[in-house]
Amino acid sequence: MKRTIVMFVIGALVLATLALWVFKGHFAWNIQEMVMAGIVLIVVGFAVYLGLSRLRSHGRGEPGEDELSKTVMMKASSLAFYISIYLWLFIMYFSGKTTLEAHSLIGAGIAGMAVVFVLCWLGVKLFWMKNA
Amino acid sequence: MHNRIKELRAGQDLSQLELAQKVGVRRETIVFLEKGKYNPSLRLAHDVAKFFGLPIEEVFLFDDEAGPSPGRETVGR
Repeated sequence: MKRTIVMFVIGALVLATLALWVFKGHFAWNIQEMVMAGIVLIVVGFAVYLGLSRLRSHGRGEPGEDELSKTVMMKASSLAFYISIYLWLFIMYFSGKTTLEAHSLIGAGIAGMAVVFVLCWLGVKLFWMKNA
Repeated sequence: MHNRIKELRAGQDLSQLELAQKVGVRRETIVFLEKGKYNPSLRLAHDVAKFFGLPIEEVFLFDDEAGPSPGRETVGR
């Protein structure tokens, strides 16, 4: 339950930061920044989905996490780590061919890792649990 | 590996949620088990078998028509 609350608090903080960036900061309303904001929303949405799922489980008297959900998370994490290595390799290769600044590339890499993790989690959950 | 959880659960007129609560997992895990999409840990298999009052091998059945797995048959022979 504590972890679920922490998840909601972090999600709220991220959303508040995003709102500050968009409405009070220097949000440029170009494709690049809108994609970044969209990725943040997807990742926060994923965290909220997981949190709500755990709250529903608590409400039904089930554990918030059990061996299946932990296995899905572990498999998704290891797969995402493996794919992220290639993502960073691609970014290193790409960095020599673009005029983007280093902080933009690092931001894109971190956002990319988050998206890779969400996709891996969905893939493991929906298609790869056979013989887990 | 396949299992008889669905059949045994129906025999006791239990819902998936009730069985999940009895063995301490989420209902989703029971769904995955019944569909054969997830092989449980030894602990969960033991808990499920104990709940039904049966030995593990009567709840979880191995498809061993293909013979033993490589590496399992040589020890002690």
